[in-house]
Amino acid sequence: MIDVRHVTKKFGEGATAVMALEDVSLIIPEGSFFTLLGPSGCGKTTLLRLIAGFELPSEGEIRLDGDSIGHLPPHKRPVNTVFQNYALFPHMSVARNIGFGLEMLKRPKTEIAATIEEMLDLVQLGAFAARRVDQLSGGQQQRVALARALAPRPKVLLLDEPLSALDLKLRKGMQSELKRLQAETGITFVFVTHDQSEALAMSDQIAVMSAGAVQQVGTPEDIYTAPQSRFVADFIGDTNIVTGELLGYDGPMAQIRFGEGRSLSVKTASATLVPGPVHVALRPETITICDAASDAALLIGTVRDATYFGAGSQMSIRLEDGTEIQAQVDRPSPAGTLVGLNCDSAMLQVLAD
Amino acid sequence: MAEPLRHKPTFLRRATGTRELRRQPLFTGLSWVVLLLLYAPIVILIVFSFNDNRSVVRWTEFSLRWYAAALDNGDIRHAAVISIQVAATATVISTMIATMAALATTRGGGFFGRSAAIALINQPLMIPEIVTAIATLAFFSMLRQLTGLSGLGWLILAHTVFCIPFAFMPVRARLADMSETFETAAADLYATPWQAFRHVTLPLLMPGILAGAMLAFVVSLDDVIITLLVAGPGETTLPIYILGQIRRGVTPEVNAVSTVLIVLTVAMVAMTFLLQRNRK
Repeated sequence: MIDVRHVTKKFGEGATAVMALEDVSLIIPEGSFFTLLGPSGCGKTTLLRLIAGFELPSEGEIRLDGDSIGHLPPHKRPVNTVFQNYALFPHMSVARNIGFGLEMLKRPKTEIAATIEEMLDLVQLGAFAARRVDQLSGGQQQRVALARALAPRPKVLLLDEPLSALDLKLRKGMQSELKRLQAETGITFVFVTHDQSEALAMSDQIAVMSAGAVQQVGTPEDIYTAPQSRFVADFIGDTNIVTGELLGYDGPMAQIRFGEGRSLSVKTASATLVPGPVHVALRPETITICDAASDAALLIGTVRDATYFGAGSQMSIRLEDGTEIQAQVDRPSPAGTLVGLNCDSAMLQVLAD
Repeated sequence: MAEPLRHKPTFLRRATGTRELRRQPLFTGLSWVVLLLLYAPIVILIVFSFNDNRSVVRWTEFSLRWYAAALDNGDIRHAAVISIQVAATATVISTMIATMAALATTRGGGFFGRSAAIALINQPLMIPEIVTAIATLAFFSMLRQLTGLSGLGWLILAHTVFCIPFAFMPVRARLADMSETFETAAADLYATPWQAFRHVTLPLLMPGILAGAMLAFVVSLDDVIITLLVAGPGETTLPIYILGQIRRGVTPEVNAVSTVLIVLTVAMVAMTFLLQRNRK
């Protein structure tokens, strides 16, 4: 288990100092596939480098299984990294790259040879042991980088956007490959990405980061269906954010009304909002279209256009207050039609900001 | 008609530019004149080192007799041994110092005075050699008197110093090109700073170090001015010996020795280029 406690990281001094991380606290459970997700510059790579030891925290503490490791140099941490550009040693064979960690730990030669063999099997590169790394394709180099980082059996494997250099098809294959490796080895994977679909597909838990802070931690389902903030709702999937009126609270649920419609009981990210206008997240695929005059209509809008994408159509609708929203439907209504929008109120989420 | 030309892809435009340059009057002729002036004397020197005749202007027939004569000459052999001793020792020491300096200035973080250090290391390249030579002569005479030490060590020391910037340049260039991620990855894989240097930085840096060493060797081997002033009695290097012989007129024997020096130098420089081109 990695326990990140109140970690702050500043680069530079005085007026030009850049705050990369600000008081970040996070628990990464043992044996999980944990993703740090966020746009570039959000601090996710800095956090990864702090766990690896390539940077030292300005404040705060990092614990690994109870031991404070935040100030140890990288070679004293039982943590290995798969680098974004792989950083394979160009003057060594595939096998020697994979055995490098164990060689540095001065393990017996027989053990190193056995581990190299096992790792080559694990990443299905058995025939390439003697190759030089510059004779491999990008995907193969990726596997060598994985094998090299897994060979010393670290407690934690850190992956810094390892799939970003691969083309789409290879990337999909490596996603399931990484999931398989994580399940087979039981090692905690900390995966950094800016790709939300990758994060949703692979993770046990996701920490969404922005501007040097963790915005929300949860399972992919939590993050997707119950975003806490506008930022998370916006960043994950194509979410519509519409304005509703908060009437009050009923236990853990918020009472919401759109326009002059009826009051709905909706999940909420915050129980301390003042009654009045609030932001509500509404996923495009949860919307159904109904007659504008019917009682079922929560919102009313005009169809702008529709785009066919195979499994259905994406309709763009302008609400009465001018907000443009997206809805996924089987059969789109013609542009210019006034339509009613309905949605299961359980799929709505009031955002904290 | 000028309009479409402006939108030509860059590579086409560049090709046209080169062709236009070649079409300039005198371009080809001037190039040949320069090449001729540079290499004709050397070619002639080499050719006449194989001449079976005492003259260096009249060709009779091919022979290796001047090489045999040079080999047979005890003074030449002695000068060659001194030259190689000085060049080899100065090369090893200066390359080690240059490598450490290159590591400190590229991997040592932004320490105070780093730019100044780089400038200072490269400065000997700009100072006229005669100035360095006279300064060294005066300084070494003082030290010789103070310490009472004599011997080849002083000449080696002088050579080591002026070889450092030559060894420094290729090593630093290679280090600056080399991504620090390799060292980071080594540290991540449990390599101590020393292990990371030994197993990752040093092997990756080797082509740069070898290139630097060869440059240093060639520079030391060819040096005249500093050697002339600093060398003690019996410390005659090959260039100094040749210079001494020339005063009595050029003999084909000198041609032969010079040819050997040229071949050695060209081989070294060619190797330097090959090393720098490979593994890029």
